[in-house]
Amino acid sequence: MPTFTIDGKQLEVPTGTTVIQAALAAGIYVPYFCWHPDLPVDGNCRMCLVEIERMPKLQIACNTQVTDGMVVRTNSEKAAQARRSTLEFLLVNHPIDCPVCDQAGECYLQDQYMKVGLHDSKIEIEEKVKKRKVVDLGPIMLDAERCVLCSRCLRYESTVTGTNSLQFVNRGNVTQIATFENRPIEHEYAGNLADVCPVGALLSSDFRFKMRVWFLKESESVCPGCSTGCNIYVDQRDDVPERLRPRRNVEVNKSWMCDPGRALYKEIAVTSRVSGARLKQAKGWKGTSVAAALDEIGSWLKGSGNSVAFVASPQATNEDLFAFSVLARSVGGLLDFRVGDPQLRVRERLDQVLQRADRNPNTQGALDLGLARDGVDQIVKRCAAGQIKALVLLGPELLRNPANLDALAKVPFIAVMATHEGPELDRVHAILPLAMWAEVEGTFTNYQRRVQRLRKAVAAPGDARPGWELAAGLLQRSGGTLAATSAREVFARLAQAVPDYTALDYKLIGSTGRALRLPDAAAAEARV
Amino acid sequence: MASVRVVTVDRNTYPGIYPILIGLKITLMNMIRTVFLRQAATIQFPEQKRVSSGRYRGIHLLTAREDGTPKCVACYMCATACPAECIYIESGERPEESIEKYPTRFEIDLLRCVYCGFCVDACPEEAIMMSRENDLVGTTRAELIIDRDRLMERGKLAEYGPGYRPSDHDVRRPVRIAALERLKKEHGIVPGMPGR
Repeated sequence: MPTFTIDGKQLEVPTGTTVIQAALAAGIYVPYFCWHPDLPVDGNCRMCLVEIERMPKLQIACNTQVTDGMVVRTNSEKAAQARRSTLEFLLVNHPIDCPVCDQAGECYLQDQYMKVGLHDSKIEIEEKVKKRKVVDLGPIMLDAERCVLCSRCLRYESTVTGTNSLQFVNRGNVTQIATFENRPIEHEYAGNLADVCPVGALLSSDFRFKMRVWFLKESESVCPGCSTGCNIYVDQRDDVPERLRPRRNVEVNKSWMCDPGRALYKEIAVTSRVSGARLKQAKGWKGTSVAAALDEIGSWLKGSGNSVAFVASPQATNEDLFAFSVLARSVGGLLDFRVGDPQLRVRERLDQVLQRADRNPNTQGALDLGLARDGVDQIVKRCAAGQIKALVLLGPELLRNPANLDALAKVPFIAVMATHEGPELDRVHAILPLAMWAEVEGTFTNYQRRVQRLRKAVAAPGDARPGWELAAGLLQRSGGTLAATSAREVFARLAQAVPDYTALDYKLIGSTGRALRLPDAAAAEARV
Repeated sequence: MASVRVVTVDRNTYPGIYPILIGLKITLMNMIRTVFLRQAATIQFPEQKRVSSGRYRGIHLLTAREDGTPKCVACYMCATACPAECIYIESGERPEESIEKYPTRFEIDLLRCVYCGFCVDACPEEAIMMSRENDLVGTTRAELIIDRDRLMERGKLAEYGPGYRPSDHDVRRPVRIAALERLKKEHGIVPGMPGR
């Protein structure tokens, strides 16, 4: 554990820590382009130069390990001048594209020009070396003029995805990045290239020209695309999510997320959302208030005695599932969630990077909360036998399997909490509007059994509300009570009821989540 | 008990016309100036228009390139600077051009606008400027949200003349100098390389 001094601060850091890591951890600003916490060190941008005592020249902070007794000065006159010169070099051929560049606002060049540069350019626009612009690489747009040749994208391609589709071509001041024959980038992790690129050279085609980033407000959340549970930011403006970005969590997704996950924001602010409750009547659908629909469902539950069944969904948060299971236990009847057996694939990898075969974010949570109880087959069988008088669904998964339709046609009353309209909703008798993952507070438990928090990023459309609120409404109408008025309180009830979750609360889960112990066999399977 | 002083005014005297003329002195002078000397300050709006300064902040204009497309590159600087949030822009890809971005929609809600001119100051392309046009009439709110094509109409500019615009450099230079001095004072940063 070497102890060293940086800008007059005495710090003790683990052996092998580099100066830049120590500085950033201590809140000391060191500018950089090519260094990235989850990529190998390359040391080519020369932006992080610092002065270290008893070393004849300035050193790059990213590739200098801290040694005992080292004295580092990040803001000495010599270091500051060197950085300013480095930045001026990097900007020599940089085009004046900020007004049309999507990176503007989160661009390392802009930030560092304002912090350490502020020089006047010695180069006229006409003298700048011209390179290729607006090269369409599928999910990515390449602009070679804006590139600072930091090689982050190359290292990402070689170490994270192993695809090596980008390389440097040419030499000297005409060096640029390119793919072979301009082939598009085809793997499912291309979006990360736009994120690793510190400047506007690689930009997302999907986000292109959509929004200037300074209008966006970010909320911490968790990707609902699969059981990996990548930590993300939801960037929204005026309650419309504009993009999802990975949020660094070394234990789960490092700094990455997959492109299918990135596209999930497109399902949120769409017109096909269920925004109000509906009841089926002789003449067709009739829109009602949520309370009236809950009354109707409640009276069916009361009138059906024990012949009811509840089917939950691993898409729902722990809070929703807990409230739903309390409802099922209070009413009595069958309960399960395993439509399509997601529990069998919860830890199965789809590729060697992030994605998992189980496309539900919370299968592990549903298992933990004991929702795997009576078996979906059993419920369908009882429906087919006409023994189920009322069926309550949290999510429409059960309706989507054509094999179930004959059995479900025999159920006199089906209520579903749904987020999106679809043909399957015609088969039910009551629809409750359900809020989506980005519209609620809650938690998901990922394949590692890590409990992670979602935060409300945007408002739910119309009357849509969280599943636990709808379940609590039904619970109240069937004579029970959830004794909770917020997701935080529901989680507190959950923690009292579920053994492994006892020690947890929202504060403890924090922004990066809390891992619970996995059974050894599963733990081996879940190793990152 | 306080005593009450009673003032008696004799209303039966005849002061003549003289005090009335004194009271109407200004009015009568204006009447003479207007009716006989034709020097009225009033102008016959809308047939007549008052001449306003070249820095007048009237209704906005979008300037055009030589080929008639808008100079605007949809950088959203004006929408960002706008304190009234009255500028709405949607951007798109300009095909086959060296500048890749342009506004597919550019709307200004003139009823929300406070005519501060910040949009003009913020624009890096001299694409938005203000005219001296100030007669804003409409029968619905919707028609006072003016779109890209109306902002680019050149006829009004010829009629009223340009208003506040970036080429009006005397207006802007003191601001720039002040900004640089503030940077120097607060951050110790001197623009330009050391030794220059």
